[in-house]
Amino acid sequence: MKSARVFQLTALAMVAVSAVMVAYWMYALRSAAIERNQAARVLYSEQVAAAQALLASGVSPERVHTTLPAIVVHGEDASLSPEVDRTLAAEERRRINQFAWEGAFFLFALGICITVIARALRAEAMVLREQDNFLALVSHQFKTPLASLQLSLETMALRPLSPDQSGALIERMLSDLARMEAMVTQILESVRLERGRVDLRREPVEVAGAVARVVASLEERAKKERVSISAELPRGVYVLADPLALDVVMRNLLENAISAVAPVGGGTVRVEGRRMNGEVEVIVRDSGVGFRPGDGVRMFEKFTRLHPGGGSSYFGTGLGLFIVRRLMQLAGGRVSAHSDGVGQGAQFVLAWPAAPAEAA
Amino acid sequence: MNAAVQPATAVLVVEDDPHLSAGVAENLRAEGYSVHAVGDGQQALQWLAHEQCALIVLDVMLPIVDGFTVCRTLREQGNNTPVLFLTARGDPADRVRGLEAGGDDYLAKPFHLQEFLLRVRAILRRWDWYRSASATPASAVLRFGGNEVDFRAFRAQSWNGVDQELTEKEAMILKVLAERPGEIVSREDLLERVWGYDVFPSTRTVDNFILRLRKRFERDPANPRHFLTVWGVGYRFMIEGQE
Repeated sequence: MKSARVFQLTALAMVAVSAVMVAYWMYALRSAAIERNQAARVLYSEQVAAAQALLASGVSPERVHTTLPAIVVHGEDASLSPEVDRTLAAEERRRINQFAWEGAFFLFALGICITVIARALRAEAMVLREQDNFLALVSHQFKTPLASLQLSLETMALRPLSPDQSGALIERMLSDLARMEAMVTQILESVRLERGRVDLRREPVEVAGAVARVVASLEERAKKERVSISAELPRGVYVLADPLALDVVMRNLLENAISAVAPVGGGTVRVEGRRMNGEVEVIVRDSGVGFRPGDGVRMFEKFTRLHPGGGSSYFGTGLGLFIVRRLMQLAGGRVSAHSDGVGQGAQFVLAWPAAPAEAA
Repeated sequence: MNAAVQPATAVLVVEDDPHLSAGVAENLRAEGYSVHAVGDGQQALQWLAHEQCALIVLDVMLPIVDGFTVCRTLREQGNNTPVLFLTARGDPADRVRGLEAGGDDYLAKPFHLQEFLLRVRAILRRWDWYRSASATPASAVLRFGGNEVDFRAFRAQSWNGVDQELTEKEAMILKVLAERPGEIVSREDLLERVWGYDVFPSTRTVDNFILRLRKRFERDPANPRHFLTVWGVGYRFMIEGQE
């Protein structure tokens, strides 16, 4: 990897040196052409002087012209033939133009090469840095459930435990394993989404029904955490979305909302919906821990876990909201988060394009 | 905190992961410690404002107030309760940050249960030694060269009348040296007694602490009369001061 980088940088340096050399050559050739032209003019002006001298010494104009073909004689005056003068001037212009255009073209081509190589190198360095960050963050996320798992196992190995204690530890270990499995799934999902390797369907989905299904599946957990969860959406409103993606988005937001409400000793999570300007908005409001208003954008970035709350649960991976945002973008929709501050609850607004009326 | 429990065996666990917190607390209880567990740095500081414990097991990445800040705040408030950091970030730079914040030891997640318990015991043993070595009025105060050190209050007054607030490490180093006046104490010995086995990567740390003690208590830190270097070995503490 390192030798490839050295090779790339060497190539870049060589192209840059070549560009400088081409520029120098072009300048030197142009200067040489101008000098040659000037030398020719000096030669011709000497011939004019010689012709003048010959005429003065009584040589006939015809003889002078035969001896010096580039010179024309008018009466007693000798001068450079206009044809030769034009040829000289044209030659000078041609050379200068040639070097200017060719040189500019070569330099332009080399400049493009340098830009392309430099940009590729920078992009590669950025990808590597992102990969390093991603790996560091992923390993960090795994360490806590791993530590818990190891602690439970070593406790079982070290201490005599009652069946109840063993049962509790086994339950804890299974929960840690489930946590890690969820992380692996979410990490793979986020990588797939990020690289655009997903084909989302776009079909009319009835929002109220889809939300009701997710709410029903979370009711038991909500009850356990003393969270009252309710949904009030108008029936028969359709959005253009992928049913599975919509399910993932709603589940993520509602699970986050429950996790945000649980630490304050219970409260409410409400889902509302409305149709506006060709879009359907679904709003998830919770009375939970909330977040600083400035964190509303940051929380959708990978591995951002806000404290306190902000929908991040103790067992969160820091990827849930990133996946939500990506899925919403791919569906042509959007998602945003608002809170008046820590302890003030939060509201998440989802918006999908509404399905054409005939779909309903 | 249960009033029947001796404060010396009370441990505060500050960890936001409920499973890990429960696991650590259960194991400490099984070892005979009384445990109070909280889930964030703010709760830890609030609890410590009213209660005492013999050791704090402190996670670094905590909600609201992170572990380093909790430790630094405690030290600034003059609370010298020993701290064992638990963290998912185990690189050396982070270790040093934790110890600079005033931590006593540092354990990276995931950790071995027995190593964790061993470290807890080692920290408590060092503090038991320090407390018992400062228990009597005679051993609680050290006087040398016009300086007066109060080991129990972690305070001192230097020869020029300046009041000094001692860190726990400075006080412990002074205690080790004062127990053996006139004798050579090796750097390794100081590391072992004050920090425990493998906390710091180098004995240079000890040298830095000695430099700090010289600045506090020597009239001319460049030509020390009390904290003498024995080249290649360690240090010798002279109560009377060497000419």
